[in-house]
Amino acid sequence: MLFIHDTSCISPQLSFGDVDLQLLQPVVNRRLMAKEPDYKGIPPGILRRMGKAVRMGVGAAVPLLQRAGIPEGIILGTAIGGMEDCIKFLNQIIEYDEGMLTPGNFVQSTTNAVAAQIGLMNKNTGYNITHVHRGLAFEMALLDTFMKAEEQPDALWLTGAVDEISSYNYNIERLGGWYKEEIVSNEDLYNSGTKGTLAGEGAAMFLLSGIKQNAFAKIVAVETIHTDDAGFVAERWNRFLENNPSDLIISGDNGDSRLNQYYAHLIPDPNNGTDLVRFKHLCGEYPTASSFATWLACYILQGQPVPGSLYQFPAKNPGYKSISIINNYKGQQHSFINLSCP
Amino acid sequence: MSRILVTGIGLVSAIGNNAAENRKSLAEGHCGISQLEGFPSRFAGIMPFGEIKIRNQQLIEKFGQHQAGVTRPCLLALMAMEEAIADASVTNAELSDFSTALINATTVGGMCLTDELFHDANAADEGSPYLSSYDCADTAIFLQKHYRIGGIINSINTACSSSANSIAFGAALIKSGRAKRVIAGGVDCLAKFTINGFNSLHILSNELCRPFDISRKGLNLGEAAAYLVLEPEEELRGKKYYAELTGYANSNDAYHPSSLSDNGVGPYKSMMDALEKAELLPAQIDYINAHGTGTENNDAVESIAMQRVFGTVPAFSSTKANTGHTLGAAGSLEAAYCILNLSNQELYPALQFETAIPETGYIPNLKFKPAEIKHVMSNSFGFGGNCTSLIFSLT
Repeated sequence: MLFIHDTSCISPQLSFGDVDLQLLQPVVNRRLMAKEPDYKGIPPGILRRMGKAVRMGVGAAVPLLQRAGIPEGIILGTAIGGMEDCIKFLNQIIEYDEGMLTPGNFVQSTTNAVAAQIGLMNKNTGYNITHVHRGLAFEMALLDTFMKAEEQPDALWLTGAVDEISSYNYNIERLGGWYKEEIVSNEDLYNSGTKGTLAGEGAAMFLLSGIKQNAFAKIVAVETIHTDDAGFVAERWNRFLENNPSDLIISGDNGDSRLNQYYAHLIPDPNNGTDLVRFKHLCGEYPTASSFATWLACYILQGQPVPGSLYQFPAKNPGYKSISIINNYKGQQHSFINLSCP
Repeated sequence: MSRILVTGIGLVSAIGNNAAENRKSLAEGHCGISQLEGFPSRFAGIMPFGEIKIRNQQLIEKFGQHQAGVTRPCLLALMAMEEAIADASVTNAELSDFSTALINATTVGGMCLTDELFHDANAADEGSPYLSSYDCADTAIFLQKHYRIGGIINSINTACSSSANSIAFGAALIKSGRAKRVIAGGVDCLAKFTINGFNSLHILSNELCRPFDISRKGLNLGEAAAYLVLEPEEELRGKKYYAELTGYANSNDAYHPSSLSDNGVGPYKSMMDALEKAELLPAQIDYINAHGTGTENNDAVESIAMQRVFGTVPAFSSTKANTGHTLGAAGSLEAAYCILNLSNQELYPALQFETAIPETGYIPNLKFKPAEIKHVMSNSFGFGGNCTSLIFSLT
């Protein structure tokens, strides 16, 4: 059991500082770009050198660290880290034909740069790790934290995830056919009937421990699966729900018609009280988008109202106490996360 | 608490295509660092590299991996995995079971395809076959599909300590009951990306690297894949094993993005914490496979940190003088070398060493010799201050 003591999220919506999810921030040119704050907690000289992923990751972590001091360790998930710096360095290699290059982009480009930068600023010499398992990078960070909290229940861990859209990884994913060709608004994402989705990005951070005191929610279970068999996913999901009865399901449906099969079984039975919401029209699709869903679940478990745009079917049963998230990345990597009131 | 045992190893590096070849090269003091042949680079012929002299096409033929998008890291990982799985006698049924986990580490991943990535990232009209092959998860996902591995699959990147952390994470999965069998390790290939990256930091040597020597000029990059099979004692049922993983610890130096603090805060802490986890005193360590990259900064700081931990340092050496620095594969490659030290009761000669650094006067083990060794430590330190130490024991 992982108890959540604090959380923070930089996303394409108004999720940082004064949260307002009713006022939907629109998609621009197939991208949901993060609303970056002014990063008051980061010294300007350091901020200037940071790539976007590092900036968002550190920026989301700073308020938690300001309140918590020095946690026992830093456990992050990111699929691509500082992709923009990575390709900037790559472009230098090609353009200058392997000539004299500046190392700044290279150092910022490594996927462990976010956790490293947080460790450096926090003077944190404890456990420091970056999980990079694509669509399950955040889930692996959670699993790692579960194991740490089982060994040292009273220690506090900074756990989270970050991924950015740079023009470069946008190009790679677009060439792969993962984004919509037509222009789609946030509201129409789920009704398009076409392949592809909207690009997204963000950072979500959590302070976690094995101790219930002062926690506002808990993460009960995380399960991950590698398969493209929708039937197998449905079978495992049903078993997950039996073990973790839930009154709200958060679905990772991203409007890609090819992936509908993995969510088709979620259509709720009218006789049971479970509600169903979707979130990718808020944050877009990115490998660690389930960290946004986890932040959203925390927000809902704290009694905040669920915006109407999230409901797939009319709400029957607000006042949720147990929430399960189902997500998949490109139909290959699947995850279930259950959270509930402490 | 169940003991975690190493039941299989598999490795390929510039000094051998399997464990037996690597052991022979280590014993004979063979250096695998040579001229780059695998791809064109301005640095080919100017700087030496620990290159594996097997072309991708040979591996594609050997393993029948003709489908699009298969990269060199996938192929080298497959080669090392085949050996590790056979060595530990893991069956296909066991691989597919939900209790078998795979933890892979890499820092470069498919970015070794520098030119293809450049093409795809800069809005070409048509994508290359490698669109989904660039990230650090690609190899683990490839291996999962190939072997139909049924349990937890993960990829880790903590720079040059990555695969030491995949071993530690795998151990935690077993200790917590989340896996009964873990294949853990890492792979990294030579790439224009890392060659130019390390060169821009002025830490590549144009000569053979000289770990812990006063006149060291920097590191040589290398490539490797190495995996360990870890299983808890109660699952062994009479199967052979090499050694026990008794200690593992991860710390951060929290000093600078690409260099270590003067007195080695992170290295000191990872070594001390690993000793505590193993319930060992420093004097009980018989040999250290040092991180020993051959850079000015690392070898000075690591020596000072070893001095702070051990006072009188045990036998130590850096096998990077044999293989080059294999980045994300270094932790598991050197862990496999520690297993060879223990299971054969022998120490291998450090190469290219002449004069000790003045700070500590430490001289690595210079001769091949049989040795009674019970506990060995392996250090891996990386950019971002990521430090990890592992301890393997004969128990």
